[in-house]
Amino acid sequence: MRIPILMPQLGESIAEATIVRLEAAPGAVVQADQEIMEVETQKATMSVTIPCSGTIAELHCRIGDSYPVGATLGYLNVTAEEAARAGLEPVGPPPQDTAAHHADPPHPSEEPANLHFKLDQAAAIHEGGPREVQPTLSGLPVPANASGAGYISPRLRVRMQELGLNAADLSAVAGSGAGGRVTVEDFESFMTQLESHRMTPASPMRIAVADSMRRSWTRPLATVGIAVNLDPLLAHRRRQPEPRPGPALYAMRALALALAENTAAAGRLVGKRIVHPHAIDLGLAVEVPDGVLVPIVREVDRKSLSELVVHYNQLVVAARDRRLPPEARGLGIATITNYGTFGILWATPIPLPEQNLVLGLGAGAKQPVWDEPSRSFQPHTIAELTLSFDHRVLDGGGAGRLLHRVARLMEDPDQL
Amino acid sequence: MSITYLEAIREAQAKALRDDPSVFIYGQDIATFGGAFKATKNLARDFPGRVLDSPISEDAMVGMAVGAAISGMRPIVEMQFADFSSIGFNQIVNQAATHFWRTGVPCPLVIRLPSGGTSGGGPFHSQSMESLYAHYPGLIVLTPATVGDAYSMLLDAVALDDPVIFCEHKFLYYHLKADSLPTDRLPIGKARIARGGRHATVVTCSAMLHESLRAADDLLHDGWEIEVVDLRSVKPLDTDTILASVARTGRLLAVAESFPWGGVSAEVVSRVVADGFHLLDAPPRRLNARDTPIPYHPNLWANHRPTAAAIATALRELLAF
Repeated sequence: MRIPILMPQLGESIAEATIVRLEAAPGAVVQADQEIMEVETQKATMSVTIPCSGTIAELHCRIGDSYPVGATLGYLNVTAEEAARAGLEPVGPPPQDTAAHHADPPHPSEEPANLHFKLDQAAAIHEGGPREVQPTLSGLPVPANASGAGYISPRLRVRMQELGLNAADLSAVAGSGAGGRVTVEDFESFMTQLESHRMTPASPMRIAVADSMRRSWTRPLATVGIAVNLDPLLAHRRRQPEPRPGPALYAMRALALALAENTAAAGRLVGKRIVHPHAIDLGLAVEVPDGVLVPIVREVDRKSLSELVVHYNQLVVAARDRRLPPEARGLGIATITNYGTFGILWATPIPLPEQNLVLGLGAGAKQPVWDEPSRSFQPHTIAELTLSFDHRVLDGGGAGRLLHRVARLMEDPDQL
Repeated sequence: MSITYLEAIREAQAKALRDDPSVFIYGQDIATFGGAFKATKNLARDFPGRVLDSPISEDAMVGMAVGAAISGMRPIVEMQFADFSSIGFNQIVNQAATHFWRTGVPCPLVIRLPSGGTSGGGPFHSQSMESLYAHYPGLIVLTPATVGDAYSMLLDAVALDDPVIFCEHKFLYYHLKADSLPTDRLPIGKARIARGGRHATVVTCSAMLHESLRAADDLLHDGWEIEVVDLRSVKPLDTDTILASVARTGRLLAVAESFPWGGVSAEVVSRVVADGFHLLDAPPRRLNARDTPIPYHPNLWANHRPTAAAIATALRELLAF
């Protein structure tokens, strides 16, 4: 009795695996659950085990080749008792002589004379209805069916456009369609139910921020944080002539210098390529009524703090008046947000959609810090720095090193 | 009084013969015998010399009728079965359909096709040919689904100056009855909303209208209101009425008894997708007969063509999207 040896399901999103080592050959006597080969996926190396005790009849897989989940890698000869014990279905007898078998003309009763009978399954497509799309041999088994919670039908899309709605606005609607899809009926009843509420128009600024944040949120965003001692910075600041730079400008300058050492961290991932920035142009988040404006300071890495401070202060005022000069509009490569001014200790801000990074500065507070030389706690002004990033471009390590560098520069403000 | 679909066709022909001396009927065994389905019963007696037996050659029948039509007559040709019209195909699509466009002389000709399946009809006595003829410019293709339409559309067909393929459904001949002949009618080229609804649209014609209406009855038990559009005329095709219905429902199922490759249901889906993509809340579906020759055995036949049950299943899947 023969049973197939199959490529096992190796994980939720794994469609195929590559054979890296064979640990048994045809003729080998194997025990249930014995590992007979090692396979490698994009994520891990795993073993293929034997479903029940028997003898390996044949293996037709090769080291270095990839096989989809469920592929037959070989056959096992087992006794009926063993197969029954393992709850396995036997397959037909092996072809006696493969070459001779193929040389024989097919028996008429096996081969339907009419092509259309063979095509029966293909013909079924004409009868309409969604069909499962099988995954290809390479890549992930992503269902290509147009259904599910994320699917917006043409009609619904047009209706939403008509009313100025976006996909994110549907997040509150529990869909009754296939896979939880929101149907037009669901949508209309949602809209009807909204009518009972008081509604006011959103300002253009609110709509612009909403659009920007929604586009940004399509990416996998993550945040890392670090504590920074602000005392050296504050002391340095006291030594500066008026107008003095604020902590956010120190942070901006520190980020600029850190990025100048490695601009790739501020790169954007587009398709399969990293798009590197031209220049270290940084934005500053400025709260304005009902929204946020982000004026851009150009080439922050090439100007000293004292060179920057007047321009910076002017930009903040201009942003609050919503009178940004043309050169302060446009795209930067990262943004500083000083949420510490609201008394916030830490946050996970969202980078602008065209940027990969946002550096957040929390509120400083006096904290006891252990000082080894004096073997005592010393009061220091400590603030949390956070760096939020697109995890497709940066990993925790890369983001952490960048943030570390920013923190060290802020703690040594003479370098700024 | 009650009148069947078949009797309505006979009455329409009698009225056409009575009202217009240029009308005559030509076909195999239609005079003394009254035709394979008795659609011309007694007409030869009542209109002597104007209901004529032809030789057993569809080619010759249509050829003779084309000649008569372009000479000022208004012939009605009866095919014994729609399936046999393929023998006259050349005369229909190359001569009759093109004549006006080539010469400026109209070819007012009606070809009656006893169409569609009946139990035990098999591959040569069951075909639905409307999709084939609708493919050709110059032909009008009508598919009456009611007693009233069988009567009024046949009279309209005789009055039209174009060659008309009149697809009358054999299954409806005896099954379909009305209390009386109609007194008013929709114009040719206008589809009819046979049943109003708001959850899905079925676009269909001929005998499939009645299967679709039964499916709609079935779905009403579950609270689904199905709109059913009876095309009446497949060429010209009333795209406006179809789109208006899909605009109400957002879902489309096109049902036809013909084979699934191309055809009227495909044309309906194609037009809705092209012109009404923004109206669709679900992928449009088609339901046709299966892509095999039509089987003899009643059980096989019942599985071959769309039935009310099959339509209801397709509708439930459409509604579940």
